[in-house]
Amino acid sequence: MMNVLFLLAVLLFLLMVLIGGKKGARSFISLFLNFGVVLFTVFIMTDPNGNPIIITIFACTAISSINLFYINKVNSKTVTAFISTVVTITILIFFIYIVTKKTMIQGFGEEEIDELNVFSLYLGVDFVKIGAAVIIMSTIGAITDVAISITSPMREIFRHHPSISRKELFTSGLTIGKDILGSNTNTLFFAFIGGYLALLIWFKDLSYTFGQIVNSKIFSAEMITIFSAGIGIALIIPISSWINAYYLVKRREKSEGN
Amino acid sequence: MNRMIKNLTYKHIILFIIFAFCFITSVIFVYHNYAFYERPIAKITQTSMEEVTDITDSYDNEDQLFTQRIVAEIKNGDKKGQLIHLTNEYSASGAYDYPYQVGNEVFIVFDKNSKENTNLTGSITDLKRDKYLVIIGWIFIFTLLIVGKKQGLFASISLAVNIILLSYTLDIYVNTNINLLWLCGITVILFTVLSLLLVNGFNGKTYAAIVATLLGTFIALLITYLAMWVTDENGLHYEEMQFLTRPYQLVFLAGLFIGSLGAVMDVAISISSAMFELYQKNKNISVKALKKSGFDIGKDIMGTMTNILFFAYISGSIPMLILYLKNYSPLGFTLSINLSLELARALAGGIGIVITIPIGLYTSIFFVNRMREK
Repeated sequence: MMNVLFLLAVLLFLLMVLIGGKKGARSFISLFLNFGVVLFTVFIMTDPNGNPIIITIFACTAISSINLFYINKVNSKTVTAFISTVVTITILIFFIYIVTKKTMIQGFGEEEIDELNVFSLYLGVDFVKIGAAVIIMSTIGAITDVAISITSPMREIFRHHPSISRKELFTSGLTIGKDILGSNTNTLFFAFIGGYLALLIWFKDLSYTFGQIVNSKIFSAEMITIFSAGIGIALIIPISSWINAYYLVKRREKSEGN
Repeated sequence: MNRMIKNLTYKHIILFIIFAFCFITSVIFVYHNYAFYERPIAKITQTSMEEVTDITDSYDNEDQLFTQRIVAEIKNGDKKGQLIHLTNEYSASGAYDYPYQVGNEVFIVFDKNSKENTNLTGSITDLKRDKYLVIIGWIFIFTLLIVGKKQGLFASISLAVNIILLSYTLDIYVNTNINLLWLCGITVILFTVLSLLLVNGFNGKTYAAIVATLLGTFIALLITYLAMWVTDENGLHYEEMQFLTRPYQLVFLAGLFIGSLGAVMDVAISISSAMFELYQKNKNISVKALKKSGFDIGKDIMGTMTNILFFAYISGSIPMLILYLKNYSPLGFTLSINLSLELARALAGGIGIVITIPIGLYTSIFFVNRMREK
């Protein structure tokens, strides 16, 4: 009997190649490479001596190189998008770590704990840091997407208006970013909700009061993930616009100097 | 700075005042809402460490257990104002326990045997998280407003509308016995129409995107359903949903339906905006040229879009994977138990994204051609 996942993967591969050609095939392979990075990250995180925050920053660097350099090749657009992603992730992860620590949303919720009673929970790894890592990893795909969606049209603008000032270039980056802000937060919102639909139905089935839902670990964790993702998407807009504007104008000044 | 102030209109000032007012009242409210809870709440005033023990579990995982003595002031109910003594045990790793600090507000249960004239004792059930949630929610809204201005406002509004709509749908589902998939179908149509109209306005571009989104999600769902039917759902492990007393296949399909919606909408609107922009710039552009640019854009976005869904679905399983692996579960078992549903969602969402590219392209061309005839 054939496996559903295998069949769906084959269908996705065929569709991607049919519609996207070579780039479609690379997009499909990138999913596998990213899956490998996630698994490898999990393995390293099982070592209690490692710091999950540092491991996550490295993992995100690897993932954004796959998403940017492998799918789109190395060029000035992807390089600035890459730098912006790494800068944003590094800023964001400290914010998320503080939030996770304060709100105590790490680890497992009381709704899950009954099924886990065969397991030992005293594992020596730092679940607060792992919780912060989870939130940042959920958002990494969207953050690289916003970065490349800003740097790529900015370069087109620069090509059509070669004498544009740094400030004007920065503003045009912001304008592009604003237009994609809504649709990207929406994408993540629906993905998270789709993943947690079963739990939300369960809350309603057990007639949890509004107060119980809002204070429960799993629901708070879910909302905090959505909020942090939105903050990350919003943050990378000025960051990548600024880095890209700085880079493009610097390069022009250099070539004029020669 | 001066120019910024000049650009402010009355509308901006009024909006600013409304936001500031909502922010301040909601924060004051969550810091003083103890009376609205039936569960007793206490604020921690004193903590002391009682003992620390090193433990090693049967798999040689080393951890530390701490026991805290806590004194807290009760904030609601008929014992309001009294002090209570609590004990809290937590581990260094913190998978299901937490170190509490002075100032934390917690939900508590009283010990049954505490007599009238002795000290009240009890234990902590959970942290009161509502105030943090409200503050982070506001940080989110303000970041969106500062960066996105008007678009940021619309993004927050559409998020709020979607949350309310989703909550109503689930209420209807739980209280009646309407088939969840039909209900989600209707909600998906509402989500799509509202979100796209709110952000992009009433125009051909939006209509084309709405049609493409609906066709894309429904076809992707159909393909996934057929794939599940053909393979007899071999390889899907519903164990992680087994707490549900509902038909979990249906809940899984409904989650998949809603989960891919945002990404599909994003693809549909990207394609249709680009098509209409090309048409506006050159009214005589040929269908062939439109198709070529449409496919080029599609190629550019399909990789990153599928990756967005992939990470949004997979990352949540990381703590569970670590728990299984640290308890020496075999790798294959760990992955198939914890990731099969997430991978299926990611793959099905990917199919939705890719299939929406040609669908969005052809619906846009259809709407463009209708505009030409006018």
